[in-house]
Amino acid sequence: MKFWIHGLLIAGALIAQDSRETPPQIGTPKPFNVPSGETYQLKNGMRVTLAQYGSVPIVSVRAVLDFGNANESADQVWLADLLAEMMKEGTSTMSAQQVANEAARMGGQLSINARSDTSSASIDVLSEFTPDAVKLIADVLQHPKLPQSELERLRGNLLRQLSVQLATPQAQANQAFAAALYPDHPYGRLYPTEEQLKKYRIDDVQKFYGANVGAQRTHLYLVGRFDPAVKSTIASAFESWVAGPSVRRSPPQNIAKARSIIVDRPGAVQSTLRLGLPIPLNPPDADYIPLAVTDAILGGAFTSRITNNIREDKGYTYSPFSQVATRYRATNWQEAADVTTKYTADSVREILFEVNRLRKDPPDTKELKGVQNYLSGIFVLRNSSNQGIIQQMAFVDLQGLSKDYLKTYVQKVNAVSRSDVQRITETYLDPAKMTLVVVGDKSAIGDSLKPYLK
Amino acid sequence: MTHTARRLAILAALTSSLGALIAAPADGNAFTVPITYYKLPNGLKVSLSRDTTAPLVVIAVYYGIGFRIEPKDRTGFAHLFEHLMFEGSKNLPKGEFDKLIEGNGGVSNGSTRFDFTNYYEVVPSHVLETMLWGEADRMKNLTLTEENLKNQQGVVGNEVKVNVINRPYGGFPWLDMPQYANKNWFNAHNFYGELADIEAATLKDALDFSHTYYAPNNAALALVGDFDEAQAKKWIEKYFSAIPSSKLPARPDLAEPRQQSEQRFTKTDKLASKPALAFAYHMPERNTPDHYAMILLDQILLQGDDSLLHQELVKKRGYTDSVDGGINLLGNQFDYNGPMLWIANLIHDASVKPDQILAAADSVIDSVRDKPVTQEQLNRALVKFRANYYQDLTQFGGLGRANLMACFSLFDDNPSSINNIEKNLRSVTVDSIHKAAQEYLRRGNRTILVVEAGAPAKATPAATGGAR
Repeated sequence: MKFWIHGLLIAGALIAQDSRETPPQIGTPKPFNVPSGETYQLKNGMRVTLAQYGSVPIVSVRAVLDFGNANESADQVWLADLLAEMMKEGTSTMSAQQVANEAARMGGQLSINARSDTSSASIDVLSEFTPDAVKLIADVLQHPKLPQSELERLRGNLLRQLSVQLATPQAQANQAFAAALYPDHPYGRLYPTEEQLKKYRIDDVQKFYGANVGAQRTHLYLVGRFDPAVKSTIASAFESWVAGPSVRRSPPQNIAKARSIIVDRPGAVQSTLRLGLPIPLNPPDADYIPLAVTDAILGGAFTSRITNNIREDKGYTYSPFSQVATRYRATNWQEAADVTTKYTADSVREILFEVNRLRKDPPDTKELKGVQNYLSGIFVLRNSSNQGIIQQMAFVDLQGLSKDYLKTYVQKVNAVSRSDVQRITETYLDPAKMTLVVVGDKSAIGDSLKPYLK
Repeated sequence: MTHTARRLAILAALTSSLGALIAAPADGNAFTVPITYYKLPNGLKVSLSRDTTAPLVVIAVYYGIGFRIEPKDRTGFAHLFEHLMFEGSKNLPKGEFDKLIEGNGGVSNGSTRFDFTNYYEVVPSHVLETMLWGEADRMKNLTLTEENLKNQQGVVGNEVKVNVINRPYGGFPWLDMPQYANKNWFNAHNFYGELADIEAATLKDALDFSHTYYAPNNAALALVGDFDEAQAKKWIEKYFSAIPSSKLPARPDLAEPRQQSEQRFTKTDKLASKPALAFAYHMPERNTPDHYAMILLDQILLQGDDSLLHQELVKKRGYTDSVDGGINLLGNQFDYNGPMLWIANLIHDASVKPDQILAAADSVIDSVRDKPVTQEQLNRALVKFRANYYQDLTQFGGLGRANLMACFSLFDDNPSSINNIEKNLRSVTVDSIHKAAQEYLRRGNRTILVVEAGAPAKATPAATGGAR
């Protein structure tokens, strides 16, 4: 019986060569508009955006704060993270436990995070609690207690997280890659040393708060279902806040310079790879969207060339991907993959082969169209949630993009030509200027990487 | 256990949360999800839930075969087979299925869980018919070849390496704890698979498995999103109705014996720089009053900064920065159909001993066993659950809703029971929580896993190389 089934299926596979059905005709796309909402400014300079979206009774309240790790000096790495942790430790009128209970009473969880260009304080709650959620965020931002009593515990947490993260090959690879691309800039300093973390005192945290938090550096977003009358709550909760510091950003120089870095990880069964370079393009530039299309063809989609090559064809790896990593006036392209150790050099060779192939020959129309459709569809998915919409709006604000950026994005994606893709790859993705990071077992890799080392 | 971490990463970055055509009564009562449910003559269970918030549709095909009941000499096989489902079918040779999805603006993935393996697409709504055709094609006409098997053995081997073998705390506690806590092989084996077993799998294994389990009478199809119901039904009939059903083997006995005394295990993680601790309790049977009481106990004890374990272990004692865990770490409180664990886990410094942490944890766990929680605690637990649940029902185009619809079709032949979840939770009382805590949070019902750190305490990678 089983042999018979076997034979039948194999026969079916052979026949398929000739009698393949074609997929049903695709219908016509429905229109989709990103909700734009209403944006206004308070007298103290704080910006507010309100957008109604969805029909489940949930609202996302998020204050995006215009500071982050990029505002740290070389001896302040993760001070922004420590401040974010401290800001959850209560206000002048509420203990940390009261803050946690109040958030939970509304169905939410207060989350405060530091990232490189911006930080945020946010909570998702049942719609009926919208005014209370605004008040809680306002209190936490304006009147944080920043208590000395919690400093040692939170420092201990950061020290533990540092140790745990740096035990992963991915963190080691990211650290080396960032340091190589952005020397002498906060973007190149992903992790502090333990010694550094041990030095921060409570007044360092308080000073960092004073230098970086205030109305002028805050944009409050409410997206979801809520009573528009919440505007008066926003006014009374934030109006008396001081304007505070103005926004300050110091982008790095974006200079591509070939380097190779091997981090030894004895006994590792896989090598963790990063290969890429800074790119002198920013979101307002005309070539930025063509770069995104190029990336999706190379490694940014599951059906992309690099993934197809080193995963689906060769089986060297499970989850390779490339990305255009974009910070404020600093863009880089990178391919990341964890590959079986004995295929380390083969993987690097194949990644470079795919980059070089696209530098020489443009993609065919079908491949390009597929990627344009992919990016257009993902755009809808990305803009069809409260958090997703806030993320897109905050990106437009941070990057200083025009008001119609989100409206014209799909159109611009679809205007990219075959020769654009080839030109972008040739102009910006030069292997001779790329940084290669390998975290893996040096003795097992041996000399195999030699042809690729700079 | 996902087909590709990349695809998951894309979805995570999207955090889509679509509003739903969910009826929202003003009196604060439970929401009602519209559900149409029927079966094709070949046994395929079909559930439909329309939602026009965005022009998207979720197509979810769930097969009633999870890793729990995979062949005993082939650990990891259910998951390996999940990969093979992306390797080509009669009308869509290798790579074409993914191109059809991405090339039409959608994303897809698959995953293998305790009691099902799922495949789904989130696509612009005008692509619905094409995806139904594609899913039917691989249900009916999967192409299995030696070459593709060998390729995916390599990919899956790399998946296990990146997620477990080359990763500090890899498999902790989601893969480890069921193996320690359970006694019945079906619940207690390494379901990601031993590398040797993954390598040993043959094409014949795949053909047998496909023929037995990948049939319409062992599957559920769920659609959520912006579609016309009459039209969708016609397409489903057209593409799925001719697929023959199979003869399904009897379900093995999955029962776990009642645990009488506490178990404790220790493992060393050579890559970990800090010790870790997990503890787990066997759950009551799914869909019973005790199950709903445990769902709220999970909220009270473990979920969020206000939870008792967070307040005790993080805030008061400073033993860790986070206590994680929950019911069913490979899904949620509802999407499984057999014995299950409630697990809590944390990473801590070597200066704190596991018994200190357990004593502190017991002080709050015992408090909910000694006397009932307050009505205020219960109310907060319910609100937290609801806020998360509403988001889950609408995220990723409604994937969370499709997940519950497909699971409840497979397990209970009743996807409409999604509309009983809130009602059942609202009937939980402080007394029923107290009773459930006394039975299920017994010491004797607990398994402890201690992880010793085997890596040097300080990781300072030595970089070599230099600028050209």
